[in-house]
Amino acid sequence: MKKFLFLVIALTALILAACGGQAKEEKTESETATETNESKEVNLYTARHYDVDDELYSKFEEETGIKVNVIKGEADELLERIKREGDATEADLFLTADAGRLYRAKADDLLQPVSSDLLDEQVPANFQDTDQMWYGLTKRARVILYNKETVQPDELSTYEALTEEKWNGRVLIRSSENVYNQSLLASFIEIDGEEKAKEWAAGMVNNFARDPEGGDRDQAKAIAAGIGDVAIMNTYYFGQMLNSEDQEEVKVAEGLGIFFPNQDTTGTHVNVSGAGVVKASKNKDNAIKLLEFLSAPEAQETFASANYEYPVNENVEPSELLQSWGEFKEQDIPLSTLGEHNAKSILIFNEVGWK
Amino acid sequence: MFVAIEDVCFSYTDAKTRALDNFTLKIEKGEVISILGRSGSGKSTVLRLLAGLEKPEKGRLIIQDEVLFDDKIFLQPEKRGIGMVFQDYALFPHLTVAENILFGLFRMKKAAKKKRLQEVLELVELQDFGKRYPHQLSGGQQQRVAIARAVAPNPHLILLDEPFSNLDAELQGKIREELRDILKKANITSIFVTHDEKDAHILADRIVKLKNGRIEFVGRPCDMLDTYRQTGVQPSTDGFVEKSLTGVN
Amino acid sequence: MQHRFTNINAWTVSAVIIIFLLFLPNLTIVTGLFTPSNENWEHMKKFVLWGFVKNSLILTAATAFFTILIGLSLAWLIAQYDFPMRHFLKWALILPLSIPPFIGAYTYHGMLSYTGVIQTTLRENFGMAVNSAYFDIMNLPGAIFIYTMFLFPYVYSIAQVYLSRQSASLIESTRILGKGPWKTFFQVVLPISRISIIAGASLVVLEVLNDYGVVKYYGVQTFTTAIFQSWFGLGDIESSIKLAASLMGFVILILMIEKLLRGRRQYSYSTTKVRPLPLIKLSGWKAAAAAGYGLFILSLAFFIPVAQLIDWTLLTFGTIPMGAFMNYVRNSVFVAGLSATLIIAFALIVGNFARMVRGRLGKLLPRLTVLGYSIPGAVIAVAVVTAFIGLDRFLAPFYVWAGFSTTLVLSVSIVLLVTAYIIRFFAIGYNSIETGYDKIGTDFRDASRTLGLGVTKTFFKVDMPMMKGAIISGFILVFIDVLKEIPLTLILRPFNFDTLSTKAFQYASDEKIMEASQASLLIIGISALAIVFFYKFLERELD
Repeated sequence: MKKFLFLVIALTALILAACGGQAKEEKTESETATETNESKEVNLYTARHYDVDDELYSKFEEETGIKVNVIKGEADELLERIKREGDATEADLFLTADAGRLYRAKADDLLQPVSSDLLDEQVPANFQDTDQMWYGLTKRARVILYNKETVQPDELSTYEALTEEKWNGRVLIRSSENVYNQSLLASFIEIDGEEKAKEWAAGMVNNFARDPEGGDRDQAKAIAAGIGDVAIMNTYYFGQMLNSEDQEEVKVAEGLGIFFPNQDTTGTHVNVSGAGVVKASKNKDNAIKLLEFLSAPEAQETFASANYEYPVNENVEPSELLQSWGEFKEQDIPLSTLGEHNAKSILIFNEVGWK
Repeated sequence: MFVAIEDVCFSYTDAKTRALDNFTLKIEKGEVISILGRSGSGKSTVLRLLAGLEKPEKGRLIIQDEVLFDDKIFLQPEKRGIGMVFQDYALFPHLTVAENILFGLFRMKKAAKKKRLQEVLELVELQDFGKRYPHQLSGGQQQRVAIARAVAPNPHLILLDEPFSNLDAELQGKIREELRDILKKANITSIFVTHDEKDAHILADRIVKLKNGRIEFVGRPCDMLDTYRQTGVQPSTDGFVEKSLTGVN
Repeated sequence: MQHRFTNINAWTVSAVIIIFLLFLPNLTIVTGLFTPSNENWEHMKKFVLWGFVKNSLILTAATAFFTILIGLSLAWLIAQYDFPMRHFLKWALILPLSIPPFIGAYTYHGMLSYTGVIQTTLRENFGMAVNSAYFDIMNLPGAIFIYTMFLFPYVYSIAQVYLSRQSASLIESTRILGKGPWKTFFQVVLPISRISIIAGASLVVLEVLNDYGVVKYYGVQTFTTAIFQSWFGLGDIESSIKLAASLMGFVILILMIEKLLRGRRQYSYSTTKVRPLPLIKLSGWKAAAAAGYGLFILSLAFFIPVAQLIDWTLLTFGTIPMGAFMNYVRNSVFVAGLSATLIIAFALIVGNFARMVRGRLGKLLPRLTVLGYSIPGAVIAVAVVTAFIGLDRFLAPFYVWAGFSTTLVLSVSIVLLVTAYIIRFFAIGYNSIETGYDKIGTDFRDASRTLGLGVTKTFFKVDMPMMKGAIISGFILVFIDVLKEIPLTLILRPFNFDTLSTKAFQYASDEKIMEASQASLLIIGISALAIVFFYKFLERELD
């Protein structure tokens, strides 16, 4: 028994020594981190995982000779990993499908500012971080879809109007666990203040056709099934359904109309996929090159249209389908506010009982 | 003295009382000792301590002038040269009879191994069963294989834990005789544990009676009978013991 | 105190090291319990926590109940009666384990949704405008259904083996005493199978507690939801660790209850062979009912979802790039095989250690290592990353000396992922191995040692060959679990490393369930092959 205890103690001591060593190591590493490296690689941590992305990376490799190494994962977990890896991280570029996460990466001091004339030219200022820590690459709108048979488009106006009594038991939207809803509410907090935002959330819960369940596509199907009449969804899901391999899904989508709310007031809520260069990046130049490549006209077309998203580069036309939906007025708020108010929005959702 | 067990004490981890208290015994070469006692009297513990399967609190074990354990030394079971026959035999089910017997002979040369295998198979009269698997044998045959396996490496001492408890009554009588013959023929010093006085009286040169971890009696079977006569205590719960005892004497 | 150990040797040392390494990441979580509570924590306690806890309790209790009901009834039918298709059902009923619950959840929802095959057929072929709400599976009962269907084989397989090994006389005597089959089942079979039921059901409960995919998709808010909400949503990792720690406390409680119920009884083979239960031949409607019940469950839990996945595969074939699929298969099989091998090896060492030591501490330590099974994968991932980065920092001078260009070596390698798998799934392998050790008891080992073989030689010549069944079943279970695993693989894999499950998840999480079907089918196919192999092996062994 004594020997056994001794073993445990010895092991603990070993581990403690390891942790103690860690604190000392940190400083020296951050000093060396700034050295530029002439490597032919760039390491990408991405929360976007469309097949077409891989094709673009291969193309980038062909054009520049820089190999793109990829880890795909969920945004939050990747962020946590970068955070834990600290100065020694292998990550050069962090790519995610939500501005809130980009904000969080910035707030956690994981990104570094990037100055590139090419990027400034290709990405409009309102889709860049104010400190140039990250750049938007594609955008999507969170819109209202309605049943063409039971709802006339002129009955619809704003997100806020969905809380009116008229829509009682007719509104469909997914769970508050989803970051798109969190960002939507965060935008209202930014525009109207916390009180109004909370009123809106409570009003929505009051008008729910059912407890939130499933993803965005499921809300569309619920309209077809007659469970509700209007649903809040991201534009690209509608695009995906219209082009689905499953004829039933196409039929459902064809029965729906798309409506861009708040056109006369604050504008429709938009969010971006975007990327930022990691602070401790060892291949900063290559990371910037990849950013420039992804926001250049050729890539933008594929990058955005693969997922029925809008390109951020104003020189690139959105796909035909998206053009057919018409132009629309966007919310005019700094995208980083979506991240700033993210936690607040979750607390509101919990309070008003939005599952 | 061939085997000397001195002042051995032992308690199990969670138990309050000692399972074995100051156990002392000296054994001559070739002697057959029986440890008699009810379940829980500590009799199996003695065997496990001697075999090295448990560590004693204190005490000493010397066989042929070699210390197997005392305050400083504790020899692992595999270093002791003590054979053991387990209550349910513990024949390795994945090995044949021959492989079971050869199991302990790994230090021998190939030819020697083969010879020894034949010897012990003859000793237990199972010459034709070498290729069988344990589950293809009867209870009595399994027991003889177990004995053959324990005897094969020529241990200084062989321990038998309730050797007859898994056999039916008819077989018990027959096997008892056989075992006695085998032990005497091979001139092996042995200790066996039983709860049945009849076994003890027929097989043993000397009997050790245990109660609550303490030695109550040591002596020849006939002496034990005398003790009963003097104290007037009924020797056993088995009604026919008296009869069989007279048979032995 | 020294005598508590029969000896200190390489086994003890390696076992202690393994236990310690497995437990280390959990330690970072345990410490979270003692941090003072903050604002977010108070908010969650006030508004949502109770609801989450209630959902979790209902979910685990109901799933445990139904898996026991289905698993045990099927095990009993197979072990006791002879009826058409019995032979096939006997092994086929393990197949549902090959379907990852999140794939099952997506598939069932796909089938039952408005555009799914069921409602479409009713609508178009029969002109029935059915209320879609009847087919809504995305709720608490739906989640219970999914978990029950894809997890009941844990109970079934353990109980089936156990019941087949039961002495015939026990059950025959009940019959002779005039009890019908139902009474026999409830008064004898149920109580004597208690241990195997608890063993199976505790695996089910742990699996349900740490799964996130199904409940997230179905919108059922559970304790795990709370962990992720506070971590990702509120960016408050302290609260989430606190929650994870409470979850761990709950699991420790379950483990203790299990141990308590298992009692002190040890079940070992005796040399005399247990007479196997003679099968009772069923005929007529009874035979049809028995076969029908088995087939019905098997269809729900395997054939129907697989048929749907095949249909989707055909529908989307050619629309997604297939070139790299061989690569995914290779990666999947490689990590699953490697992790399963290591886990079984470690479990054998730790299990042997647990046999050698006496006293409560010695018995308790190995049990602590199974905690990893209860913690949501993402939390383990962070714990493992933290530990490995610490290790890399510690080794940094060595890396520099050896001329590596980076000081993060281990934490970006496959070692990280495999270590995380080992922590996560050690319980599964250890359970099998522990039962194996329990079954052979200590007599064979003692016999071997009195015949002059040391602990290590004894292990290779006696313990290993006698535990072949336990080793292979443990290996297969771990292998399948790693193949299905998702959050750890997603977060911890090295660069450019995709497996079948990350591929399936990637499509599914983008709501492209049809595109996910190819990878899902491959996972199911490989797992099913492993199960069939295992079954064939066991058959040969038992003859």
